[in-house]
Formats: sequence, structure tokens, C-alpha cells
Amino acid sequence: METMLWVIPALPLLASIVTILGGKRWIREKSHWLPCIGVGISFLLSLITFFQVWNRGTLHQVLYSWISSGDFQVNLTLQVDPLTAVMVVVVSGVSFLIHIYSIGYMHGDEGYHRFFSFISLFTFSMLMLVLSADFLLLYVFWEAVGLCSYLLIGHWYYKKSAADAGKKAFIVNRVGDFGFGLGVMLLFTTFGTLDYQTIFSRSGEFVGKTFPMFGIEFDLLTLTCLLLFMGAIGKSAQFPLHVWLPDAMEGPTPVSALIHAATMVTAGVYLVARCYPLYNLAPKALFIVALIGGFTVFFAATIGLVQNDIKRVLAYSTISQLGYMFMALGVGAYVAAIFHLVTHAFFKALLFLASGSVIHALGGEQDMRNMGGLKDKIPGTYWAFLIGALALAGIPPLAGFWSKDEILMGTFKAGYYVLWILGSATAFMTAFYIFRLIFMTFFGDFRGRHGVEHPIHESPPVMLYPLTVLAILSIFAGWMLGFPPEHGFIHTFLAPTLAETQGTAPLPETTEGGAGLMFFSILVAALGILTAWMFYVKRPEMPVRFAETYPSTYDWLLHKYWFDEIYDTLFVNPTKQFANFLWQGFDDSVIDGVINGIARGIDVMSAKLRRLQSGYLQQYALSMVIGVIVILGIYLLIV
Amino acid sequence: MNLNWTAILPEIFITLTALGVLGIDLFYTRYQKDKTLNAIVTLSGMGIAFLLLPFLSAKTQIFTSLFVLDPLAIFFKMVFLISGSMTALISINYLKMEGFDLGEYYGVLLFSILGMMVMASANDFILIYLGLELMTVSFYVLSGFFKTDLRSNEAALKYLILGGFASALFLYGISLLYGVTGSTEISYIAGYLTEQTRTGADSVAGVTSAVLSHPLLSLSLIMLLAGLCFKVAAVPFHMWTPDVYEGAPTSVTAFMSVGPKAAGFVVMLRVLLVALGALEKQWMVILAVISILTMTLGNIVAIAQQNVKRMLAYSSIAHAGYILLGIVASARVLTAGSASVVFYILSYAFMNLGAFTVLLALRKEDKQTGLMVPAMDLEDFSGLSKRDPLTAFLMLIFMFSLTGIPPTAGFVGKFYLFMSAVDANLVWLAVIGVINSAISAYYYLRILVYIYMKEPKVVQSVDNSSSLWVALYVMALATLLIGILPNLLFNVARASVVSLF
Amino acid sequence: MLLVIIFTIFAAITIISAGMVAFSQNIVYSAFSLLFTFFGIAGLYVLLAADFLAATQLLIYVGGILVLLLFGVMLTHKIQEVNLSNESMRLAPAAIVVLAFLGLLSIAIYRTQWPTVPVPELTPTTARIGTLFMTDYLLPFEIASLVLLTALVGAVFIARGRVKK
Repeated sequence: METMLWVIPALPLLASIVTILGGKRWIREKSHWLPCIGVGISFLLSLITFFQVWNRGTLHQVLYSWISSGDFQVNLTLQVDPLTAVMVVVVSGVSFLIHIYSIGYMHGDEGYHRFFSFISLFTFSMLMLVLSADFLLLYVFWEAVGLCSYLLIGHWYYKKSAADAGKKAFIVNRVGDFGFGLGVMLLFTTFGTLDYQTIFSRSGEFVGKTFPMFGIEFDLLTLTCLLLFMGAIGKSAQFPLHVWLPDAMEGPTPVSALIHAATMVTAGVYLVARCYPLYNLAPKALFIVALIGGFTVFFAATIGLVQNDIKRVLAYSTISQLGYMFMALGVGAYVAAIFHLVTHAFFKALLFLASGSVIHALGGEQDMRNMGGLKDKIPGTYWAFLIGALALAGIPPLAGFWSKDEILMGTFKAGYYVLWILGSATAFMTAFYIFRLIFMTFFGDFRGRHGVEHPIHESPPVMLYPLTVLAILSIFAGWMLGFPPEHGFIHTFLAPTLAETQGTAPLPETTEGGAGLMFFSILVAALGILTAWMFYVKRPEMPVRFAETYPSTYDWLLHKYWFDEIYDTLFVNPTKQFANFLWQGFDDSVIDGVINGIARGIDVMSAKLRRLQSGYLQQYALSMVIGVIVILGIYLLIV
Repeated sequence: MNLNWTAILPEIFITLTALGVLGIDLFYTRYQKDKTLNAIVTLSGMGIAFLLLPFLSAKTQIFTSLFVLDPLAIFFKMVFLISGSMTALISINYLKMEGFDLGEYYGVLLFSILGMMVMASANDFILIYLGLELMTVSFYVLSGFFKTDLRSNEAALKYLILGGFASALFLYGISLLYGVTGSTEISYIAGYLTEQTRTGADSVAGVTSAVLSHPLLSLSLIMLLAGLCFKVAAVPFHMWTPDVYEGAPTSVTAFMSVGPKAAGFVVMLRVLLVALGALEKQWMVILAVISILTMTLGNIVAIAQQNVKRMLAYSSIAHAGYILLGIVASARVLTAGSASVVFYILSYAFMNLGAFTVLLALRKEDKQTGLMVPAMDLEDFSGLSKRDPLTAFLMLIFMFSLTGIPPTAGFVGKFYLFMSAVDANLVWLAVIGVINSAISAYYYLRILVYIYMKEPKVVQSVDNSSSLWVALYVMALATLLIGILPNLLFNVARASVVSLF
Repeated sequence: MLLVIIFTIFAAITIISAGMVAFSQNIVYSAFSLLFTFFGIAGLYVLLAADFLAATQLLIYVGGILVLLLFGVMLTHKIQEVNLSNESMRLAPAAIVVLAFLGLLSIAIYRTQWPTVPVPELTPTTARIGTLFMTDYLLPFEIASLVLLTALVGAVFIARGRVKK
């Protein structure tokens, strides 16, 4: 298997290329075959790899050196350590299920082949991202997944909102990637290489070293970690770069499930986890990670409370859950973060796919105010949704409970009590908003007008099978991987990676008081569900009254803390104005004089030289003779 | 006489195919409605010749002292056959649409490829010259193939007269070289000149003294260079290029911007690095100046073009400049420099053919007649991404590659070229190359601006024939693959030039 | 000495008639002058003991190509208008360039120490050339035939009537 690692990403890539090239012309409505088979096989290979890593430890494969010219060498190396093994299995597995699901969901779409090609391409990029053994490759595929996400969000590019959302995702991510790029460059100048192993093993040498910038001496490792974290913030949609993710829901639902819930957005978490040896040496950076994560957890959940678009609720929930992971990383509960990443991938993919099934059933309706009472009409979807919601809410023994609880416990034990309170409060809100969604969608009376002309129908089996698999995973994965807490399978499996780095990890090894905390979080979750039931089933007039009583709070939440508006005022508009100023004021006067002068010079020169090309044969021949004469003259008379 | 016939098997095959196509067309296809048979015969002939090549590559083979089949020759023959078959593929539907679906096209195309193949293998100036003439005569015919089109006529006539002129210069150079060295055989000349360098001024036999500073030698060098620079379209022997490229049928232009250029460069490698290797100090300076002039002029004038075909003509001039830069560098770093040249030529073949193919595939509605006519202007590309995203994306790949943006073949090719210049202590030359690449980005990316950011101005349609698309995919994939896996090909390129020295 | 005189005569014929080809205002005169150019060159070949070349020069160029050329001139224009104008234009730039080129060539020739060989004996070369074409120079010989074939195909193609659509 060690020499076959490259096959895992290569298959989706191949499928993608063949599909995009031949899709429109030759393959057409059979476009799903190659990507599904390709990703399926690479999932099986991932499983094999996983067990090999379990038995034998980290695998390496040097594929080839991309460019070598003298000292300058760029190698392409793949590496699978336990962390990567987990990621590879999750990515290829979830991706495979979503490929299957898409056969039904995207059926009859105009860009069917394009969709499958891009989603396969995304799988390739994401696999390469986690398989890469150095920062350069990581960076390349970091950008590549961003590009795929952009292409897929804009799948229905003729829809202005979709095209805009794609653009927004791309631009917001640029901000984070700018920092990430700087971080990678800083790593290269510091270590002279971008290879993980070399960097992590030598990072100890640079503790306390400083890096001068703007005349201030920054702590080198802290600065590096924070720059890298900027990339993570952007990709994982953390505050304050979270604004792109809700808009990204304009893409097809399978895309939201795969890219914007299960895999790509967790790349930030993966990045920080991967660089843990660096972060361990930079406690200040870790503190900031915890802080940002903790704040995002709470803040995104509050917005999620009042959203009416079914996918947007899930999007804010994703942001919030990613916040949990960062919080865990920040407080040193490294395994808990990855554990939550895995379980979250299962249940959030389940929720998204189920919501896609709802949307599919209603012919594209996404507003929950126009839903209701769907429980009996689409029972399969309902049950899947319910399982996902219970898992998200943290009801034992479903998956979310184990991992989320471990994060909260880790936070508590690390002494971050404020974060713990925020996290627990969010656990309450999480249970509330997800059951608000369930109750609004599946309970009560149907409020839409859709069914009249188009009967509500359950999704085809090809969509329900993946839901079933994910539902089973959401039920069982938690305790199979993480029981008993802190000593489960995933803990022992990830231990080798962790062992190298745990030297200064602040995670205490006691489990005392665990039972009490656990009980507390179950209580909180149950309370959240109960409140939702009160609000939306028992006394449906309450939310309205609440909104009327506290209009400003409601508005504040509904408009997502006015973040889009704030950014528009603070960044977008000034940038536009500045650009206008540059264009009209600065450009016309100063740039015209300098740059345009050069450009115009070239233009003038271009036009003049072009006139030499008169079309007259004699002149062409003459120029040849003159050329010979000049060269000859120089040789005979001067040299 | 013991002739090793296997060495010229591919050439024999191409000749037979060419004669076959002419014959089949005369007696059969001409009377058929569907004339694809001509193309099929042509393609299978080229395919067989191509497949023969690797089997002959075990070691250097010789068919008389005039003709060698070394790895370099094999590499270039493959380049010619690949670009030739791409040209045949893209021509099928194009010729049909333009109403010139005739067997002569393929016959003459094959003869031109034969000429190039002879040039690649020639170890004697007589053979080089004959190959050159075979190739050029074929292109006189091909560029005037649309004989009812005045511009095509003009292109053929201009190419014929100027080509004849350049051939005369080249021939003059050969005869002078023969006068100095007493032979036309490349390996003999190389040995003779090297020996002269060693023995220096006190040569015996009274034939010459200080042969290397012989004015006649410089004269012949300059004449040879002039003839070759004409073929590769280097300044100041480039004037024919824009007019001929613009007037000739687009499929011919596509091939003309690749095949003859590659053939010119392989002869240049043999003549300059082997035959006249002893004179490197002399030709290095000339070529460096020509290289700078060529890329700068090509890029700057390309900016002013509104006609995409003409713009690509200037762009191909600029690319000849980059390649010349590599030849200059190989004066000092033989293997690395010439390997980068060889590598770049193959990369360039794919990306440039690809760009021309997109141009050829795109048609627009003529406002007056309502007929679909070939699209030529920048304006005709506007909004292509909305009409046909796939074609637009392929054009993006080719433009990125021509500009030299990773991960495309063009980037890696330029990287190796400029790197070899740096290795040869010619940093300033590399810097000029990089500046030129930056200038070129302006007009390459401008096409993309039209494609992606403007609204469609005319009714466009893209040639939908399978043959063209197969070729287009092959070229796009090759452009990307070379960019992603360059080391494989670079090792092949390096191995092919090592045999030279 | 005799050789020098003969050489000078032939060289003079060649150059003067070449000049007339270039400067004559009448294209028919130009064509006829070309005859003498070819003839002069054939004479030079004889002096170099290249009997076969001299003979082919006369046979092919004078006998074949030139006649074809004249036919071409006669047929493309109405025969009544003998006044086929063939004006020389832009004499000044051409003169400068040509003189410069001449000057440089002269310098090169003057500076060169020419390798000299004794005047070869006049032996028939035809048989040897024939043998070489069938042995060592087989390949160039064949390729030359293909060049001609290509030219032929091209000429026929372009000269033939319009394509029927």
C-alpha cells in the first residue's frame, strides 16, 4: 500500500478529467458513473491504508520531484500518519456517500457532468490536502479546494445570487489565505524547507526567537502560528471571516454537505492540528485560537436561533460546531477536536443531505416558514433528520454527545471557565435551534402552497441510502470511537501522532468530575429541546411575541449582527471608493504620468514598429539584407 | 555499399502514405461525398511512422554518412509527427467548411513532414538543404491552399519569394563553408574546425592559417544563420511571418508556427552546437542580440494587434526569441541549455497548436450575409465563457501556458530556459526574458478578459466535430501534464541531446 | 593566362547580362538577358572542369526553364502589347544596400587567404556523378525527386480551375 498511496487521490482526479472532457459530448447522463466508482475505490483503498497505519504506523511515498534544476528542487511527497488516516477515510467516505446521493439530487440538471466532474475534482484536492507531506503542497491544494468550492457554489452561475456567493467565498478566503501564504513563506525563510517532519522536529530550536516587522520584534513562532491560523479562520469560516459560509448555501445541497459541512471547512481544524508541534511552543497563539473558537461557537449559534432558511440554520450551526473544534484545539484537547471533526462530518452531512431531501421534496423551497407537517409525508427523511438533530444536540448515545462533551470537559479542565460557560450555553442553543428546525419543518400544519400543483414526494432510494448509512454512523460512531471518554479507540489511534507533540500540551490527565459534567451537558441539551418544543409546538405564538417584545435583539440576530452591513460599510464600500479615487483622482494624474507613460510608450512603440510591417515584399527582403549587412559589418569592420 | 534501411523506415512510410493519399484521392475519394478517407489514411500513416520510431531508438543508426538516426532526431521526428497529426485532425472539418476538402492537402502536408524529418536526421548540409526545400515548397503550396481567397494567394506568393531569398542565403552559406572546410558533412566539419582550434595558427599543408578567424567562415556563419532565422521567424528575418500567418488557412498557420520552427531549431542545434561548435564565441553574441530583438519586438508589436491570428503570429515570433535564448545558453552549458531548448519546443508545440485550434474552431456570424465565418478579432472572443465554457477554459489553459503561469507546460519550459541562462552566467539575458514574459502577459490575458469579462458581441459558434475535439483535448492535457510532470519529459530531452556531443 | 582571359570574358558576360535582367524596362528583354547569364555560368563551370554541370546548365536552364519563362511572359499578356513595363523602383535605397553588401563581401574576399588547388584536368565526370547518385548520394537524389514532385503537385493544384463545391 505504501507505494500505492498515490492511487487514492489519482482515481477521483482521473474520473474528474474524463468526465469534464467527455461529459457534454459523449457521457452525458451517465456522468456519475466514473466519479462514483473512482471515489468508491479510493474509499476502499483509504480503509486499507487506515488499517495499515493502525498496524504499522506512518506511511510515506515520494511520488516524484516536480522540478529539479541544480539546488532548486520541489518534491511531491505523500504521507499518511494517524491524523491523515482519519481524515482520508472521512473525506473519501463522506464524499462517496455524497456522490451517490447526488445521482438523485442532481438528476436532470443541465450541468450534470460538470457537477460530477467538479465534485470529484474537489475530492481529489481535499485528499491531496490531507495527504501532502509539506506546506507547499498543502498550500497548493488549500487553494485548489477553494477554487473547487468557488466553482461549485457558482454551479448555477446564471443565478446572480449564486455567482455572487461564489465570488464572496473566494474573496473572503483570499484574506485568510494571504496570511496563510505569509505564514508559509515565514516558515520557509526560518527553516529553509517546507517539509513537515523537518520543521516540526527542528521547531524547538526557535523558541524565543523574534522576527522584526514594522520595527517591532515579534515572537517568531507565535507570529507564524497566527499567520497560519488566519488561513484556518478563512477556510473554516470562523469569526470574523465567517460571512462567506452562509451565502455559500447558494450551491447545490450535496455541495453544502460535502464541502461546507463535512470536509473543506474542516481543513482549518486539520491545519492547526497538523501544526500542533508549532502551536505547543506558542501558547499565546493557542490562547487566541481558543478565544476565537469560543467566541464563534456562541456567536454563530445565536444567529442560528432566528434564521428561517433551512440551509442557513445548518450553515450557522456548522460555523458554531467548527468553533467548538477550534476551542478544543486552543485548550489543548487535540484529540477531542479531531473526534468532533469526525462525528460532525457524519451528522452534519446527514443533516444537510436530509435538508436537501426536504428541499427536493418541496421542489426547491428552502424557507421553513413555508414548510411544516412533513413528518408523515416524507418519513424516511424525517427519521434521518431526527437522528442527525439528536446527534447535533448532544443526546447520548449519539455521536455528537461524545465528542462535544469531551471538548467541554477539556475546556473545563484546562481552566478556561468562561469558554466552558459559553460552550455550555451554546449547547443549549444548539439543541434549541436544531429542534426549532425540526418542529417548524416536520410538525404542525403544512404552510406552503407547493403541494397543490406538485405532490410532495419522498426522495428516490439512491438518495435515501446515503442518508441511512450516515444515520447509522451518527448513532454508532460516537461511542465506537470515543468510549470510554479519553481512552477510546480514536484516542489510542491518534496517540502516536500526539505523543511526539504532547511534551507541553496542557491537557490534564484526570477524569474526576467527568460524570458530573457529562450529566450537566445532557441536562442542558434536553432543556434546549424542551424549550424548542414549548416555543414551536406547544405555544407557537411565543416566538412572535418574543420578537415583538425584543425587536432590537431579534433584528440584531436576524441580520447576523449586521456583519454583512458592517463589512460593506467598513471594507467593501471604502475599497470601492478608494478604487474609484485611485481610478479617477490618483490614476488620472499620477499614474498617467508614470505608468501610463511607460505603457503609452510601449503602445506608441508598438504602433510605430507595426508600421514597419507595410505589406511590401521588397521592404521585407530589404530588411533581411540589411540584417545580414549589419551583422556582417560588425564582424568584418569592428570585431 | 551496406545501407541500413531500417534507419529510414519512418521516412519511407511517410513517403508511401503521401503518394498513397494522392493516389487514393485521384482514383477514389474525389468521387465520394465523404472525403474523410484521405485524412484517415494520412493519420494512420503518421501513426505507424510514429510507432516505428521507438523501435529504432535503441542506438544511433546511420544510413550512409549523410543521415543519422540519433535520439535527438527521433525526439524531433516525434514532435513533427505529433503536431502533424494534430494538424490533420483539426483540418478535417475546417477544410470541409471552407470547401477545400481535397487530397492534395494531406499529400503535401505529409511531404512537409517528410522534409522536417529529413532535416532532423541530416548529417550533411546537402541533405539539410533538400529537407528544408521539401518542407518549404510544401508550405508554399499549403499557405496558398485556399486558392480562391486573395489573402491566401498573397501569403503563398510572399512566402515563396522571401523563402527563395532565404534559401539562397542559406545555400550561399553552405557553399562558403564548403570552400573553407572542403566538406558538407557536419561531423567532418566539426572535427576539422576543432582540430584547427587545437593546432591554431601553425597549420601545415598550406591550406589555411588561423581558419577560425577566417572572414569567409564568419560570412558563411552569418549566411547560414540568416537562412535558419528566416525559418524560425527571428528578427530581422521575421517580416514575412505576420502576413503569411494571417493569410494562410488557419490549420496551416497552426502547423507552420510549430513544425518548420522546430525543424529550424533542430538544424540550428546541429549546425551551431556541432558543426560550428568551435565558433561559439562568434555566434553566441549574434544570437543573443537576435534573441533579445526577437522576443522584444514580437511581444511589443503583439500588443497592438486586434486580430487574434496576427497576434498569435507575433507571439510565435516572441517564442522563437525565448528558444534562441536557450541556444545562446547552450553555448556555455551544453546539455542543460540544449535540453531546455528541446523541452520548450515540445511544450510550445502543444500550447501554440492548441491556441490556434481554438481560434480555428471559433466561428461568428457575418452581419451582412448571416453566414458563419471564421472569427479573427478580439471582439469575436468576447463572452465566449458564457456561450461555451469548456472552449473558454481550454483557451485559458493555452493562454496561461503561453504566458508561463504554473502548472502549465509553458511555465516549466520557461523555467528551464531561463534557468539554463542563469547557469550559463547570462543572468541579464534571463532577466530580459522574464521582463518579456511579463509584457506578453498583457496581450495573452487580454484575450481572457474578453472571453470571461465581456458580454458577447457577435453570434458565436464553436466547431463541434469530434476529430477537432480529440486534438484539442490531447493538446490541453499535454499542456497540463507537461506542467505537472515535467521531470519525466525533461529527462527524455536531456537524454536526446546528450548524444549530440 | 589564357584561362584568366576566358574567365574574365565569361564573368563579364554573366554580370553584364545579370545587370540587364535587373535594369531592363522591358520584361521580354530581361528574359532574354537571362539567357546570357545562364550561358556565362555554364562557361564558368567548364572552366572548373565540371563538364556535366555545364551541359545540364545549358540543357535545363537555357533549353527548358528559360523557354518556359518566355512562354509564360508571352501567354500572360496580350502579345500586341510588347511594352511590358518592368520599372525599377526605389533605386537609391537599393543602391546603398547593394553597394554596402558588395563592399563587405569584397572585404571578406580580400582578407581571405584563399586555399588554392591546381587546375583540374578535364576528365569526364558524368559517370562518377551517376555512380554517386546511386550510391553515396542516393538519399539526396531521392529527396530531390520528392521536392520536384511536391512542386509539381502544388503547381497543378493551384493552376487547375476552381473547386466545384
